[in-house]
Amino acid sequence: MKLGKFLTAPEYRLMVVTYRDIFQSAALENSRFGEEYRKLSAVIRMDSKDIKKMGVTEGGTLVVKNSCGKVVVRVEKSAYDVPHQGVAYMPSSPWSNALVSADTGGTGVPKYKIIEVMVSDARGESITIIGV
Amino acid sequence: MANAMEIYQFLPKTNCKKCGKSTCMAFAVALLSREVTVEYCTPLKETKFKKNYEKLLEIVAPVEGSTETGLIVHEEKCFGCGNCVVACPVNVANDPQGVGIGRAPTNDKVILQVENGIVRASNIQECRRFGKNRILCNLCIITCPTEAIEFV
Amino acid sequence: MVSCLNKNYYVCTGCALLCDDIEVEVSGDQITTIKTACRKGFSRIRGCIEPMPCIVNGKNVDINTAIKDAAKILKNADKPLIFGLGNSTSEAQKQAIKLAKRIDAFIDDTSSFCQGPTLEAILHGKIRTCTLDDVRNRADVIVYWGADPSNSHPRHLSRYSYFPRGEERQRGWEEDRTAIVIDVRKSHTAKICGDKFFQIPLHTDAFFIDALIDALSGKVPNMLFDYDIKNLLKLANILKKAQFGIIFEGFGIYNIEYMETMARLMGKLNEVSNFHLIPMVEHYNMRGFNQNLFEETGFLNRVKFKKCEKGFDVKYGVDYSIMEVLNTKKIDAALIIGSDPMSYLPRSAAEYLLEIPLVSVGPCENFTSRVAKVTIPSALSGVECGGSAVRMDGVKVRFEPIIKRARLSDEEILKRIIEAI
Repeated sequence: MKLGKFLTAPEYRLMVVTYRDIFQSAALENSRFGEEYRKLSAVIRMDSKDIKKMGVTEGGTLVVKNSCGKVVVRVEKSAYDVPHQGVAYMPSSPWSNALVSADTGGTGVPKYKIIEVMVSDARGESITIIGV
Repeated sequence: MANAMEIYQFLPKTNCKKCGKSTCMAFAVALLSREVTVEYCTPLKETKFKKNYEKLLEIVAPVEGSTETGLIVHEEKCFGCGNCVVACPVNVANDPQGVGIGRAPTNDKVILQVENGIVRASNIQECRRFGKNRILCNLCIITCPTEAIEFV
Repeated sequence: MVSCLNKNYYVCTGCALLCDDIEVEVSGDQITTIKTACRKGFSRIRGCIEPMPCIVNGKNVDINTAIKDAAKILKNADKPLIFGLGNSTSEAQKQAIKLAKRIDAFIDDTSSFCQGPTLEAILHGKIRTCTLDDVRNRADVIVYWGADPSNSHPRHLSRYSYFPRGEERQRGWEEDRTAIVIDVRKSHTAKICGDKFFQIPLHTDAFFIDALIDALSGKVPNMLFDYDIKNLLKLANILKKAQFGIIFEGFGIYNIEYMETMARLMGKLNEVSNFHLIPMVEHYNMRGFNQNLFEETGFLNRVKFKKCEKGFDVKYGVDYSIMEVLNTKKIDAALIIGSDPMSYLPRSAAEYLLEIPLVSVGPCENFTSRVAKVTIPSALSGVECGGSAVRMDGVKVRFEPIIKRARLSDEEILKRIIEAI
């Protein structure tokens, strides 16, 4: 009974916290355009309960969007050992920056670290290619 | 690395004692501690266990590849941060003015050092988990951000 | 290059720790082995697989043509921007400042949207700081606040802040030091700190600091957010007892309003104990840029030069920040040096860069260089060229190249652009 299949994919509100990942940084030094950097950057790590609630598959893709932009990234279960439903993690990268508002409220400093987004099943759409 | 229970799953589970152990579970434990090798279990050579035999060889490969103290570095997880290098009491004792104060090693007596971004073990006979007066030191494990070091 | 016991050590420019104990083995012009550098540093020293091409309008050209065309773009611009320089030597930064004065340019760097205010407070002596060597020798309470050095500055804990022995910390980290993480998520560094990890809810840094100040003052903290007061008191207790405390401030905590709150916390901590603060600067010489510009103008970023009778006039402020000059489309050309704003900035702001002529200088191709009119390859500093830089704690570090390749340094390129203008 996958009625959802015929409807627009339902959207869920999440707060994204961005972070640094050494493997992604190391990949960046090697190639900004390589598969490795893209794989390690275009990813959102969610609480397994959130993944279940949304009915998406780990390793599948999600549309992550807000009024600033939209990206398609891979969804992964976070290895986090305490629940963090409603909060997801993305490595700092051009993919997360596509969702950061240019409005700095007169400070000159964008809010890079915590981003409010809506996520939905991308239904197999492949991850956004940036910078080619 | 597998635990004894996982290894046990691939054994014949007949407790035939041909390996010299009283049960297959005991054999699994012995295999894990490198007291025996997979070859000791002769029934595994039978055709019906061929797949299990191959799987077991695969599982225990890291054990056989480990250093004599059972230290394994999971290179794909290692940050090369050097926490283990500096936290290792033997390293500090053997190179107090190098790794002891956080710097590059100044001699060849260290057990752990970072090369090409990944920690590498040498002089493993110096490890406190080795030899007659061994103790279960785990300082390189608890200071690792990612569980990249394991003793099997 | 530092020589020690017949070993030659090099400096890693992978981050602002500037580790100066890197050993390498070289065969011809290839580096074959890199010792002691972390995974990130190793990757930096090994270099990229997509070197910066030498291009004008999509066509490969020789370096002289590229420099000439770059100079033409900058000369013809009314309101040029110079941006980046966090991955350049101090010598190159000084040339960039000279160029900015020559062409009446805006000049800014990544500190504009990260640790600028903290560094400003430090340079003005408003926040107490110390060196990483002081931390290694003396610190007993170490706080990583909104920072995860295990990922961003991998050798931070092992080289300076937690694990090494120091003059007053001879017994090792288990007995001599307490490491604390305060963060919204359990990072790899938090994992190492065990039960000294204090997880705070999103957006509550300011409340948390206020409550902590109360606790340090012996008042009952006003808990305006969901947090276990026992944990807060436990933290306050550890901080109070510090002989030599240090806060490493990461990106996670930073926002403009917070600076004042943090200054108050530092004030209180220094009433009841002894605390210092060092920002976790990411790019190897961002602090160098801030200090060089500060020496020249009294401001550390967000500057616009204008020639006048008495030499030059300097304007400073948020209106001159990279974000605002892009948002208000205030610039008509940009010179990007060793940086990738198309990647680092919010995409919607960075898109204005597509509308203006760009000159991109750096060792590797990046998202910005791919949309630039002129790209100029430069030497990877610390590997192909030497110079000096300022570590995250303000200590000046000199370094030599590991190998000699043909590419010009940022400094040489900037000098030649200035000559051509």
